[in-house]
Formats: sequence, C-alpha cells, structure tokens
Amino acid sequence: MPGATAGVPPLGRVRALHVYPVKGLSAQPLERVVLRPGEGVPGDRRYALARADGRYRPGLREGLPKQEFHALVSDHRLAGLDTHLDAADVLTVRVAMDTTRHEVLRADLRTEGGRRDARRFFARVLDLPEGAGPEIAHEPGRRFTDAAAAGDGPMGWLSLVNLASVRDLGARTGTTVDPGRFRANVLVDGLPPWSELDLVDSETGQGLRLGGARVRVVRRTRRCAATEVDPATGVRDLPVVRLLDQAYGHQLMGVYLEVLAAGTVEQDDELAA
Amino acid sequence: MSSPPERPGTRHLVLRVAATSDLTPTVRRFVLRDPAGRPLPGYEPGAHVVVTTPAGHLRGYSLVDPGGPAPREYVVCVRRDDRGRGGSRSMHDDVTVGTDLVVTAPANTFALRPAARYLFVAGGIGITPVRAMVRWLRARPGADVRLVYLTRSPAETPFRDELGGPGDTVHHSAGGGRLDLWPYLAEPADDLRLYCCGPPALLRAVRAATAHWRPSRVHTERFAGGTEGASVPFTAVWAPDGRRVQVPADVSLLTALRRDGVRVDASCEAGVCGTCRLTLLDGVADHRDAVLTGPERVGHVMACVSRARTSEIVVGPPRAA
Repeated sequence: MPGATAGVPPLGRVRALHVYPVKGLSAQPLERVVLRPGEGVPGDRRYALARADGRYRPGLREGLPKQEFHALVSDHRLAGLDTHLDAADVLTVRVAMDTTRHEVLRADLRTEGGRRDARRFFARVLDLPEGAGPEIAHEPGRRFTDAAAAGDGPMGWLSLVNLASVRDLGARTGTTVDPGRFRANVLVDGLPPWSELDLVDSETGQGLRLGGARVRVVRRTRRCAATEVDPATGVRDLPVVRLLDQAYGHQLMGVYLEVLAAGTVEQDDELAA
Repeated sequence: MSSPPERPGTRHLVLRVAATSDLTPTVRRFVLRDPAGRPLPGYEPGAHVVVTTPAGHLRGYSLVDPGGPAPREYVVCVRRDDRGRGGSRSMHDDVTVGTDLVVTAPANTFALRPAARYLFVAGGIGITPVRAMVRWLRARPGADVRLVYLTRSPAETPFRDELGGPGDTVHHSAGGGRLDLWPYLAEPADDLRLYCCGPPALLRAVRAATAHWRPSRVHTERFAGGTEGASVPFTAVWAPDGRRVQVPADVSLLTALRRDGVRVDASCEAGVCGTCRLTLLDGVADHRDAVLTGPERVGHVMACVSRARTSEIVVGPPRAA
C-alpha cells in the first residue's frame, strides 16, 4: 500500500480522483495524481468558457467569480456533453444516441482554428447568437476554479468529498445522489458521514496525510445550484441545495484542501492523521 | 398525449361526441362538436384540450387536425392504457356518440415555430400533435418536412395510410428492432427545427442525442405528472429603466435578467441563501424559495427560483435593509 504507515488507522481511503480540464465540462478520472505545495490537481480547470460579455480578457491574471463563465449553475445543458481534453489540449466532444457515442467536435485548443471551432460549437449548444460564443479562456499557470475568485492561494486548492456524507444525504432525503454532482477532485470513503467538516484545520496544524502528500483542510464547501444537474443527463432534476438545507440546516458538502507537502496520490491510498 | 392540466380560470366548453372510430385495436378517435353546431374556439397545430372524462379524470389530449380560427370540431385520439390511472379506460368504456364532455378551450404548449426545415420524431400515440403539424405544413407550398414515426407494428400505427410518403420513415420495432435515430440527428442546423413527441424513454434519448443542437431548435412535448410543476413564460419589467425581459418557461428570472444585462447578485441559485432577493413592485409572484417569510413575500421575490403567477411582474433591485 503506497504511503501506508503501520500502527495508525486511516480515517478513510481514496475511492476516485478526478480532473476537470475545462470548467463546467466532463470529469476525467485519474489513476494517480502528483500534488505539489500550493497547487491543485495538475491541469484542473485550466480552460473555461468565459462569457463574451463578461469581465474575462486574455491575459487577465486574477480570479473571477463563477458567473463570468458558462458553467453548470447557469448552463446545465453542458452536462449533456461527454467531453475529453487530452494532454495536448485537443478537446473531443461526444453525444450519446442510445448506447453509442458519436463525436460532434474535435478541436485543438492550442490553435486559433481549434478555438474558433470550439467557440462556434459552444455558441450553438448555449444558444448564443453566432459570433457571441464564449471566449476559450486559458491563462498559463492559472486555473478557473470557483475558489479562484477568493485569491491566488484558494485558486490552488483541491476539493474533497466524503462518499458517506453523500450517501447520508440520499438516505435522509429518500433520493439517490450521484457524487458526480459535486465535481470533487478527490472522493474518499471510510470516514463517518460529515466528519470531514470537522477536519478544517488551523493555519499552524500539521495537516493530514493523503497518500504520499500532506494536505490541510482549509474550508468547507458551500454548494450552489450546479449540484442540481444530473451529471449523466444534463437535466436539472434534484434540488440538492434545498435538500441539504432541509436535512441539515446547512448547504455544505465536502471540503477544500491545500497541499502542504508534495506527493503522489492513488486510488485506495489512505487519508490519515 | 397528455399535457399538464390547465391553470384555473380557463374557459370550459361542453361538447358532444359526434362520432368515434377505432384507428387501431387500442387507439380510438373522438370527434367533439358544439351541441348547437356553433363554431369552436380556434387553435393552431400542436394545441391540446383538457377533457374531463366521465369518471372524473382530467386528461390532456392533442388535437390531431391542423386547426384554424373557428373550427367546427375538435378531434382527439386516445390510446387505451389498461395499466394507467383510468383516464383512457373511461374514455374508451364510458364515452359513446352523444356523450357530453367538459372540455377546456385549446391551449398550445407545443406550438410550431417558423423554420425553413422541420424534422418530426413521433413515438406511438405521440403522433397526435405531430400529425396536426405535418398536415398543416404540407398544405403549404415549399414545406420541407421529414417525419420519423416509430411504432410497434403496422397494426398499432394510427394514421399509417396517410403517413408513409417520400419524406416519411415509418418504423416498426416488432420485426425491425430499434431504429437508430443518429443519422437524422447528427447534423443540427439553425434553420432546422426538431419536434419530438412520444414516451419518456424516446424523449430522453432524443434530448441526449441532441445535446449538440441549439436548444431553441429542439422541441419536446412534456408529459403529465412532471415533478417540476408547470412553468410558464412571463414578462419581467425591470423597474429602474422599464425594460421588458421575456422569461421563457425553462429559464429562471435570474438568468433572463442577466442575459438582458441586468446585474443581479446570486450565490446558491437554489432558493436557499437569499442573495438574489429582488423587490417585487407589481404583479403576483410564484414563490418557490425557502428563504422569504410570509410577510416578506408580499414585496420581495427570489430571482433564482421564483416565477410569476401573473403574465407580468415588475421587479427592482433589493431595498437597503
């Protein structure tokens, strides 16, 4: 077991790792991730679909609030697209007809022509006028996470969701909640439900061990209506924020992590004190 | 085909069944006329009426004829569903020629919008509004209309004699298996509109396979029993400058205002956090939030989830607390 320490029982184990190369588009599973201090999952939210009439301008070096981008909270239809961004920044989009997936876009986002194709494609999907398609936002070294609006430190946080809390929400509200709704980088299991909310650590703490890395739980994650969208269908079908509020009196699910010490994290790795 | 029940206040008619006929072993056609022979309220293709069945169910049925300003009759087709909640059984078992039925004036939530080209996908009894639309369009010169009509077998295919021309694909799953719709849906175009009506599984499949289309070009008929509550379009007037913002049924007040350039702060967008509170200056809101107390609801509205009960509401920025 990588990163295991004899004698200290783990709090929980990593069940899945995800990167979201384009804000608002599909999750991409990772087998392992190499974390570095102050940085999130490499390549996470490195692109975003910026509103053409919004505040994003190429070269902007500060975080913007999520409403400056097309994302699931306002444009749930994006979830109906099966997207993949490869290591060379070629974006492939597929749609499903019954059990077959058909490619409807392949665009190299590093080229002017590819970005133009993507812009035209998303103008159509988002029902924007031709020519008012989103800017394909990309700033080397920056990421378009929701937390980035709070500063460059938070921009480098990664997100963790406890599967037990998701199951508890489902059991308490008589629904089935797909953890994919919360678009976390790290899914863990084995912790008691909601215990992750109590792991928020002071600035001086030693933090926790996540696989081979050391992390600090810095903030609880308050949820918005983006979680109402079924990631499998792109249909806004479950009022998750309201269910949270009714069941627990809060709108929290998951926490943000800051990386303190570099290391590799893989499936089944431990989260431990 | 069922549609959401009407809102209160809709005009009701008492119509007499003038004729019935069986289109298939399970689909019966009913011709409804005014007992005194007066012309009926007009309608356009895609419209439906809500019929009170003799057993007391309210059921929406599409009108299968193209319609017009003062039609002499309404024609609906009802598929008997013995596993259903009883509405179709009552129509089949309790209604004969001469029966009087309470029927609402036609409403249209599935209206034809202008386009150069049309693609219709109908599954089973979902053919009823589509038949009205196709006939209306094909009666006009230059119609570019394609129809894909999916049924189980030739015997279970209402209107099969009239639908089967060069622009039509009539496919029967018994024998032919499931038709791959992708060749029809692969290439969206701004001048092409898709109308789809049929069972929920067909609507889901078509919605998924048109995720790359312009959503405004994809029209699907909603079924009864939806959990979302009937959302209807309304107009929001932004008090500071009087601008009129149309809020479509599938778009929130918040999103519609923002699209029009009005800056409204919001956070959860789920009716819980209270950030997007607006002042309600006129009209009646359909409050769907979990924030506002009873007294607060008189003068405020949460733009992210709440809508309007009146065709128009006047809203403005939040008052300083």
